[in-house]
Amino acid sequence: MDYFNIEYISIVTGFLLILLGLFAILTQKNIIKIVIGFSLFDTGIHIVMVSIGYIRNRTAPILDETVNIKDAANQIVDPVPQALVLTAIIIGLGVTALMLAYVLKLHKEKKSLEIQNFSDLKW
Amino acid sequence: MLKKGLILIILIAFAAIFLSLISSFNGNTELSDLGSYYAKNAPSEVGAANLVTAVVVTYRGLDTLGEVVILFLAAAIIGLLLKLSKDEKDENSRMENVRATSEILQTATKILVPVIFLFGAYIFINGHLTPGGGFQGGAVIASGLVLLFMANPNMKINHRLISFIESISGLSFVFIGILGILLAGGFLDNKIFELGTFGKLLSAGAIPLIYIFIGLKVGSELSSIVGTLNETQKEK
Amino acid sequence: MVSPIHIITISLGIAFALGIFGNLPKKISAIIMLIAIGAITFISAQWAYALYFGNAETTQIFTAGFKPPYSINLQMGIYEAFFSLLINIIGLLGGIYLFNTLVKQGKNAIIVFLILIMGLNVIVLTQDIFNLFVFLEVQSIATAGLIVLHKNKDSISSGFKYMLATGIIAGLLLIGIIFSYYFTGSLNIADIINANIGLSKGGAVAVFLILIAIVLELKPFPANGWAIDVYQSVKPGFAAIISAGSASAAFFVLYKILPIVPENFYNVISALGIITFIGSNLIGIKQTNTNRLLGYSSIGQMGLLITILGLSPYLGDKLTFIAFAILISHYLAKAGLFWLSGIVKQQNIKNWSNLRKKPVLMVLFGTFIFTLLGFPPFPSFFGKWELIMQLSASGQFIWMALILVGSFIEGIYLFRWFSNSLKSENSKLPEIKISLNKFIPPVIFGVATYGFGYFAGTFVEAAGAINYIPLLFIAFIALIDFLPAWTKNTISIAGVIAYIFYLYPSVEGDLLRQIFLGIFLGGAVITLFSGYYYKGKRLGFYPMALAMFAGLAMLITATNLFEILYGWELMTIGSYFLLIRGKKSLPHGYSYMMFSLGGSYTMMFGFALAFAGFGNLDLQALSGITVYPTLAYSLILIGFMTKTASFGLHIWLPGAHGEAVADIHFMASAILLKAGVFGIILVLLGMGAEAIYAKNILFVLGWIGAISALIGNVAASFQESAKRLLAWSSIGQLGYIVFGLAMMSHLGWTAGLFYTITHFLYKGVLFLIIGGIALKLGTPLMYKMGGLIKKMPFSFIAVLIAIITLAGVPPLVGFAGKWLFYNAIISEGFYFQGVVVLFSGIVAFLYLFRLIHTIFLGQLKDEHRNVKEISVWLLIPVYLLLFAIMIISAKPEFILKPLGNYLISYFPTGALTWNETMVSTALGHWDGYWIMMIVGVMFVILLAWLIITNAKAQKVKQFNMVYAAERPFRPETTHMAHNMFAGYNKALGFLIAPYVTNFWNWISNFVYDTAGFVRRIYSGNGQTYVLHIVAYIMVIYFIIF
Repeated sequence: MDYFNIEYISIVTGFLLILLGLFAILTQKNIIKIVIGFSLFDTGIHIVMVSIGYIRNRTAPILDETVNIKDAANQIVDPVPQALVLTAIIIGLGVTALMLAYVLKLHKEKKSLEIQNFSDLKW
Repeated sequence: MLKKGLILIILIAFAAIFLSLISSFNGNTELSDLGSYYAKNAPSEVGAANLVTAVVVTYRGLDTLGEVVILFLAAAIIGLLLKLSKDEKDENSRMENVRATSEILQTATKILVPVIFLFGAYIFINGHLTPGGGFQGGAVIASGLVLLFMANPNMKINHRLISFIESISGLSFVFIGILGILLAGGFLDNKIFELGTFGKLLSAGAIPLIYIFIGLKVGSELSSIVGTLNETQKEK
Repeated sequence: MVSPIHIITISLGIAFALGIFGNLPKKISAIIMLIAIGAITFISAQWAYALYFGNAETTQIFTAGFKPPYSINLQMGIYEAFFSLLINIIGLLGGIYLFNTLVKQGKNAIIVFLILIMGLNVIVLTQDIFNLFVFLEVQSIATAGLIVLHKNKDSISSGFKYMLATGIIAGLLLIGIIFSYYFTGSLNIADIINANIGLSKGGAVAVFLILIAIVLELKPFPANGWAIDVYQSVKPGFAAIISAGSASAAFFVLYKILPIVPENFYNVISALGIITFIGSNLIGIKQTNTNRLLGYSSIGQMGLLITILGLSPYLGDKLTFIAFAILISHYLAKAGLFWLSGIVKQQNIKNWSNLRKKPVLMVLFGTFIFTLLGFPPFPSFFGKWELIMQLSASGQFIWMALILVGSFIEGIYLFRWFSNSLKSENSKLPEIKISLNKFIPPVIFGVATYGFGYFAGTFVEAAGAINYIPLLFIAFIALIDFLPAWTKNTISIAGVIAYIFYLYPSVEGDLLRQIFLGIFLGGAVITLFSGYYYKGKRLGFYPMALAMFAGLAMLITATNLFEILYGWELMTIGSYFLLIRGKKSLPHGYSYMMFSLGGSYTMMFGFALAFAGFGNLDLQALSGITVYPTLAYSLILIGFMTKTASFGLHIWLPGAHGEAVADIHFMASAILLKAGVFGIILVLLGMGAEAIYAKNILFVLGWIGAISALIGNVAASFQESAKRLLAWSSIGQLGYIVFGLAMMSHLGWTAGLFYTITHFLYKGVLFLIIGGIALKLGTPLMYKMGGLIKKMPFSFIAVLIAIITLAGVPPLVGFAGKWLFYNAIISEGFYFQGVVVLFSGIVAFLYLFRLIHTIFLGQLKDEHRNVKEISVWLLIPVYLLLFAIMIISAKPEFILKPLGNYLISYFPTGALTWNETMVSTALGHWDGYWIMMIVGVMFVILLAWLIITNAKAQKVKQFNMVYAAERPFRPETTHMAHNMFAGYNKALGFLIAPYVTNFWNWISNFVYDTAGFVRRIYSGNGQTYVLHIVAYIMVIYFIIF
């Protein structure tokens, strides 16, 4: 198996982004940076998802003039992961927006963005 | 530093999970059963040239309803979370007109924003034919609004109007879905209208209509989120 | 019927419509939301009803008109309908409860609430794994939104932690989903199950990610800090929805995806579950914040449910019943407790005692606590029983033990909380205010626990014979609790007498059960009769006393092991509430409950082992246990010995009994302890004495009995409180009985059973009299008494006769007991134990002397110059008992002869031989009747002589003396009763040093310290929580692969 194919490169990139995102979430002290880390993590997942549906030398799953409708199944890449990733992106967007709203609110409470300042509840 | 090292070790161990996934991944040479079913039958069953749209709006319409709901929730919650008390509102209004933005930005905005809005509308109306759709179009529209905010930081958006658009399009979406039960095969079935000629603007049954509502809804929700965030965090 | 799809359309339609009509008054919006939830509740109720009664079949709903896997389908089957109903009901009642909060927060909050409920429904109904992911996200975002219903900095920071954690969990779920799509080409759960992708490495990893993400949604210990912070910081009304609604939905998801999981993961699932169950409960021990405590308990219960799913291969067709019974208990009780927490509004569990002022709420509180702990008649009892039995039948003993340990740990903190609220000081706490909308939901759930308890009982085969009449009678008495005590007393006595007549035919011909029926229910009549002394309402006393007696009666009539445990637990609940009525009984009632709880779990374990070998639950299962017999018999015996308060398990008794009032003391000591004796008899009859293990167990049991006798009697001698003296004396007396039974010979058993009866009689007298005196004088301390003989002559005579009996000197019947005892010991050759028992018999004289001397003789205290005889209502039963003592003293053969005939079928050799009134054994003979006559005549002669010779004596008045010019620093130390046997204490004190108490204290400190150490993992830092999640997944991955 040739590992320097586009699907491998993208799936590995995706996983690396996930790990990078996790690393940022786990090590950054600033909560905005943590949210950015989360965003990276999410993006990595999205890249992994589209890589899963990729088939080499095929075109987008849109049946316009370039695609023979009868033979579409042999000319296009898988539309399902693309549909899923669309949903996942929107969800990620919603979550990230909400997190940022939380960050705003947290900053307003304590005038700080350091995550360790928000650990009043414990044990 | 020790902690970072520990985290790094844990993450490297964690990467083993991904490694085993990658090693079992062999790429694809054929479409999956599901994918080839859609490739073969979507044109006749749904009538949308853009298969992703066919899957998103019809076959997996419930997912789409779910994401619309998520955005709706996000907008509502951000509204709930950042609801300003009266004092804060007064304080914010006192701090208005700090500094005007540049003329270039303001003028460009006036020219660009209508085009952006138009482009957004184009994307969601043609969602069943070309790449794009309600979400993408809605996002483009919201980006126009961001531009407006950048040009006029003190601009107020009409939350009531936005909320109205948001809700009415959501309600219409659900209503079309119910029509699907009544007139066609099930909830969110697009065959409540004729499928029309494949590849034309007025085709694919209810998909264009649904995408219009989704576009409006996403556009208004994202605008509302941006607006709320903008109002809460004035520069001081 | 209305299609389930309308659960979605109605909720979303209303949610969007509320957005359009944003100007509506907030109250109207909230009402519309409740109507919408009511409508979807109706839909799921309709389906649940139709599916349960077979009027409908499992239905698939295809969206978009295409068949799966091409489109998303929803399924409405019986389980889906049931879970959806659970969610909607908590949504409806929770919405009512949160009404004011929602109205205050306005439109957006109302919409988010409605969508949350809708999302949970879809999670249950959907059959598409990606759709599941979408709606899990809907649920978690809505949850994150409702967290801030309570606007403070804690809720906001916990909301952020929650979002971060669930975001990462959802991401990992998504990776699992997309790879399972890659391997199966489908997103439909049924297709994924059929594809069996767990067989390949990559597929197994994909399944692993899906599984672990769902498990993480159930908040497993220790990767759950984010969830616990949420429980603590949100409004209790919303915590109820998370705990009951969201957790139930998440549990159902795990159930739904479980078939995807390869078989070899199951043990790991159970392990994750049990770690959560034990770990979470362990940390709960240290917790004082109400909502956080409930959070730990919620998570613990989910852990138990995860364990059950993981163990499903061993549970067979009982799985559904077990899971439902435990889930429904958790659902009702946890929601109820969170709701109560929102009413009480006290963050600290120590401040719940103002709840007592609201009896209805207090009853609900108790109901929910006992439901969680798995007591009858609540559904969890049946669920836990079946769980343990099935596991045992499959040989899964380790799992059984772990589950019982976890349950016990949960009991520790739930009970501490509960008993605090029952007893601790509440004068400084603010009044609890209840609004109707907060009151109705917990009441409905409280009533439902009883309904489901009955319902669950109908599924358990062994519970078929349970007689619900006494329970109904108790419920009736509870309903008329507002009436004065004497009314309830009369009705209760009538009820008990009727029940005796009802039960008698079933024990006819079975002497053993007749004896215990006499002690339990005859004793019930006598104690209840003495209850007429009480003026006032005596709230809560009668239902609990009757529950105890009903449990005792159930022990006698039990035909299988299940009924024994049922009766045992019922009795435990009843007696706990009686014992805790004393003034300072808080710690003692608590330790009583802990020993009882532990005892019933060990007993359940033993029963399960018996069941594993025997195959059914008949009482015969106790004879010849084949699976780990030593362990099984020991555990069952330990369980029963928690009630006989034998050495090692006795530390609760002196305090608990010492603080109880007169008639309760009688119930607890003379009657309740005999339940343990009855249990030991059943076990020993089954075990026999032949097998090696039986010999070992009997040897230990004999020593336990002997040591209990010694320790009890020695400690009794050194008590200052008359009631504690009697309590310790009970330990000693029960020690004799256990020792007698452990001899496993005809004479030993005759002695043991004879003691059982006579102890009931003379101890009954002593408890009532001493209790009455303590009540009259306001103190049980003997050095504050003295010279009461003239004030209370009837009491004096009664105590005199009782202690003569107890001391075992002729002519009264106690001597017969002792005589039998020594005969038995010598013929068995138990010389060492015999010496101990003999010695303790001598020690008994010390405390008996102290009892009569310091109370009735000596100088009358100034402040007692005006005391009167104790209440006649106490004296009447006392004299009835004395009459019985006189009868069997003169005619012991009334009891001994039938007893001998009965025992001869079990122990054919060594029986007593009778010749008229003379009885003889291989060692000697004795004639109770003539001894009585002779001693009686001597007594009369002596008395007459004393009276004649003393007729001319000069009467000395009490104050006819002169003090030296000294005032004692502590006047009570001059009383001869104070520290009366100081010399003996020096010699024997080492025997009663609190070694056992210290041992148990050490154990409990150890557990507390462990909890305190473990809970430090919850640092409160969101980042650490994420690290826990990542590390958790990583570790489990390396365990599985």
